[in-house]
Amino acid sequence: MNRRRFLRAGCGCSLGALPAFSMAQEPWQAPPRFVRPDTASDEGGLWAMMDREETKLRRSPFNLRDPQLQPYVQDIACRLGGDHCPDIRVYLVRTPFFNASMAPNGMMQVWSGLMLRVDNEAQLAAVLGHEVGHYLERHSIERLRSAKSSSAVGQFAGLFGVVGLIGAMGLVAGQYAYSRDNERDADRIGVLLMNRAGYDAAEAAKVWGNLLLEVNARPNGAARNPLFASHPASEEREATLRELAASLNGGVTNDDAWQQKTAPHRRQWLQEEVKRGQHEESIAFLTRASTRMHGKADYLWARGEVYRLRAGEGDLDSALKDFQAAAALGGEPPETHRGLGLVYRSTHRAAEARASFERYLQLAPEAADAPMVKNYIQELSV
Amino acid sequence: MKTLLAVVLVALLGACTTVATKKIASGENTIGERLQVNIEGPWNYISAPNMGPAQIWTMEGLPVDQLRIYSGIKDGEVIHDTRNSNLKSFSFRSNMQSDELVSMFEGMLTRGGSTFQLSKVEPSTFGGGKGVRFEYAMVTKEDNLPLTGVAFATVSNGELFALLYTAPRLGFFPRHQARVEQIARSAKILPTPAAPKY
Repeated sequence: MNRRRFLRAGCGCSLGALPAFSMAQEPWQAPPRFVRPDTASDEGGLWAMMDREETKLRRSPFNLRDPQLQPYVQDIACRLGGDHCPDIRVYLVRTPFFNASMAPNGMMQVWSGLMLRVDNEAQLAAVLGHEVGHYLERHSIERLRSAKSSSAVGQFAGLFGVVGLIGAMGLVAGQYAYSRDNERDADRIGVLLMNRAGYDAAEAAKVWGNLLLEVNARPNGAARNPLFASHPASEEREATLRELAASLNGGVTNDDAWQQKTAPHRRQWLQEEVKRGQHEESIAFLTRASTRMHGKADYLWARGEVYRLRAGEGDLDSALKDFQAAAALGGEPPETHRGLGLVYRSTHRAAEARASFERYLQLAPEAADAPMVKNYIQELSV
Repeated sequence: MKTLLAVVLVALLGACTTVATKKIASGENTIGERLQVNIEGPWNYISAPNMGPAQIWTMEGLPVDQLRIYSGIKDGEVIHDTRNSNLKSFSFRSNMQSDELVSMFEGMLTRGGSTFQLSKVEPSTFGGGKGVRFEYAMVTKEDNLPLTGVAFATVSNGELFALLYTAPRLGFFPRHQARVEQIARSAKILPTPAAPKY
């Protein structure tokens, strides 16, 4: 059985035993393509449930039907899946949380919060490879059987990020997530798959390192983050992945291609990131993202907006600096000028506030809040 | 096992009895200490533990439409139920400007991952004070249902007063919008009660 072979190869061992996992000794091999299980079996029942979820997702307004981005991500998943490619169906989902999942029937979801956060194609491939790893090792069936109770199946579905289960994610993560061993297995398989697909495996550790920056920025750290409730601690994950990547050949990262492909969605995803109201996490992420090659003005605007909404000590000054920097770069979102106007208005700089609001209305005359902004201008003119 | 089932049943029945429904009759109604509204036609008032500081009214039943009425929310108070501690909490600050009030409610309404789109934000009076009126469209994460909403908010003496009505875009929202607008027009914020003299 592949899982046994995998374990023999050293996956469950300590960090010191990691080289035993190298492909030179006993390469992990993907299983043959899966056949649809008997519908009377527990596995068949799970597939049927996921089929129904997939039908819902296909029609959902949260499904990003981008004719450029979807095939591009599908192609990445396909190259990771190898022979299983025909069974993998990728759905890009508009949800501002870091998540991807793959159901046993081949439905893969990639959420916008994840796509916003990864810097390049290789980092995306690391996460997708991890999900493909769960799929190839059939971890979900293992978890289903260990859950035992059929009444648990409904909540178990949350493992795949099915539509509508965000609110219950804490519960899901706590009780029905993959085991830590499953996560470690999937991490290692993911690194192998991304490497075989020609990506730089060193990027896998960076994904977790970057997330760790955000988690540690939260006032109460990982404790309140449902996505980390049952995952191996990110420090461990990052170190393990870094070590594993060191034994593999390098590859491409494709930063430019990824950032260009996602550029049409960037502002919407950033708006949704700001709305999450997780100010500290967002600032940590946006500070990192503002060093990317593309979209610097967008990231600075978003960080300025987060500072403005947090409105803590010194935050309005930080917001002002970010908005000014975004405007100086050019190509900034129109909302940069609304943000400037609101900060100036709060700090009683009427002339600057008026000028910024006027600029905003010039750039976005049809904005939903145009009547409110016009009212601000009138008040400032008195 | 039987004991366990009995315990669960008792707990469920106990939970059921804690949800209360009350008819709100036409005419003048005072919400909290300082918000007075005059309603034309009855509403249903739903109350249950942990539902947050807003009064929840509905015409069609809670899964369908919801009128949230905030009266006298104090600085630092969380504006929604706090049952799911994994989700971000949104609190009122007494120095919030109109745009910040809108952002706060936007954050609250999208806590579970629903989409939210402002369609209009304009200055307005509410309860006799300067405030903001905004309209929005949402799609719920749970069931992909397109909703429409209208809201009014103001800050008086450092306290929040607001009214948010959200209902399915097709049918229900247009059916009840005029009633909600009428309630908003009728709203009157009463002066802060004087401190007792000893």
